Amino acid sequence: MGRVRQHLSLLVLLPVGALAACQTTSSSTPAASADQAMARNIANNCFTCHGPGGRSPGTIPSLDRLSAATIASRLKGFKSGTEPSTVMGRHAKAYSDAEIEAVARYIASGGR
Amino acid sequence: MSTITRRDFIRFAGAATLGLMGAGGTARAARRASAHVVVIGGGFGGATCARYLKRVDPGIKVTLIEANERFITCPFSNYVLAGWRTLDSITHGYDGLKRDGVEVVLARATGVDPAARRVSLEGGTSVAYDRLVVAPGIDFRWGAIAGYDEKAAEVMPHAWKAGAQTLLLRRQLEAMPDGGTFVMAAPDNPFRCPPGPYERASVIANYLKRHKPKSKILILDAKEGFSKQGLFMEGWKKLYPGMIEWVPGAKGGKVNAVDPKTKTLEGDFEKYTGDVINVIPPQRAGEIAHAAGLTDASGWCPVDPLTFESKQQKGIYVIGDAAIATPMPKSGFAANSHAKRVAAVIAGELQDQALTDGVYTNTCYSLLAPDYGISVANVYRFTAQGIKEVQGAGGVSPLGADAAFRQDEAKYALGWYASITAEAWG
Repeated sequence: MGRVRQHLSLLVLLPVGALAACQTTSSSTPAASADQAMARNIANNCFTCHGPGGRSPGTIPSLDRLSAATIASRLKGFKSGTEPSTVMGRHAKAYSDAEIEAVARYIASGGR
Repeated sequence: MSTITRRDFIRFAGAATLGLMGAGGTARAARRASAHVVVIGGGFGGATCARYLKRVDPGIKVTLIEANERFITCPFSNYVLAGWRTLDSITHGYDGLKRDGVEVVLARATGVDPAARRVSLEGGTSVAYDRLVVAPGIDFRWGAIAGYDEKAAEVMPHAWKAGAQTLLLRRQLEAMPDGGTFVMAAPDNPFRCPPGPYERASVIANYLKRHKPKSKILILDAKEGFSKQGLFMEGWKKLYPGMIEWVPGAKGGKVNAVDPKTKTLEGDFEKYTGDVINVIPPQRAGEIAHAAGLTDASGWCPVDPLTFESKQQKGIYVIGDAAIATPMPKSGFAANSHAKRVAAVIAGELQDQALTDGVYTNTCYSLLAPDYGISVANVYRFTAQGIKEVQGAGGVSPLGADAAFRQDEAKYALGWYASITAEAWG
């Protein structure tokens, strides 16, 4: 992880022309950041109903104090139907298990 | 804003360790830091987008241009008609945006010069932008129903933009005698809030049942069907038997003309009259979208399905009701989704990050009574080929669900409003 960070810093310091070339030769970093972007994207969908950052101001449960394992297992339960719900089953069925695990980690770590 | 994001920290830390503040890095950081994103319109889409831009990258300068000091939401304005909510409780200001570092300019945007990248404001001033987000909501096609203009709306309110019109319709309902008829003209697709007219009929039925039980409701519809139709009709039969009549277009429901003097509506086959008349007219993108050259012949704004960048003007993004984002509905929730997408797209562009596909949602609750809620939910993948509904997911609440299920969804409708408005303005 430390190495990846330093690599990112280096990229930032390179002139713009060289940047494009570096990005095409670096395979893992863009993929990792794409996964991260997707986790953030999905979490932002959750926050529309569950409140900013998962802290609900109203009658819908908050997410911000749940562990990644709890969020992932509830979502998988909604998806399979073993966990009863009003609307969550309809949402959870849209995501792959990998996406569910990624968004659960993202929300549980406070958006990182 | 003094908060340093993790990304900024990595950038600073890297530079310090290596002692190499290269020319490229500074230029890029400077470009990002000085980038100015202007958002026109402080509704669900615009306000959420402005805040998410600051959240994704506090280095971006964000200015919101909005004509009104306060925003009154169309969602939940039906409950003001029913007497369940006050207009105050659905009115929101922009202090939350200011706290987040968004500059709020209270002025009406009158035009956009895409070549010069400037927005002109009422009063003659203008604002320069690097990227522009246009979130103007809807305007009405006055005259599309013969005789229905702004003056007619003072007699037969639309109440489809919340505020004075909502209160006018409420007063008319309060003044209506028991045994009177409430008539609503519902528009053809596409229009703002597809389940909205039918939720409105439901909650007005709830009010009439309690206060004027001999009254009737007549919905004259330009369409042959409507959102959550099975669920609405199931609920009407159970909660308000015999009270609500729906006339589809093929049976003469399409209203072609109105006469405010005689309070009549003219369909294909016959004329209708009533004690309180609510005309929800055909719509188009908000005025500024037309002035800025963002609309096509449909009156709405074609956008790239991956980025929401206008297909007609580079560097301008259109979100919310004004955008053509089929199959997403024109809803506050969809606008919230577009807003988050565009914030990510613009921030990513300014940081030279590769663009990924997106996945976004819509969930619309409708109340048929204070303890009877129904919903429609869908998840959409944004791809270069278009916006695709995820198959096997989404859908409407089940027919025949028990009272506890309907009660839970009514409870979550309130929570939905609290959360989505907190994201936009809280």
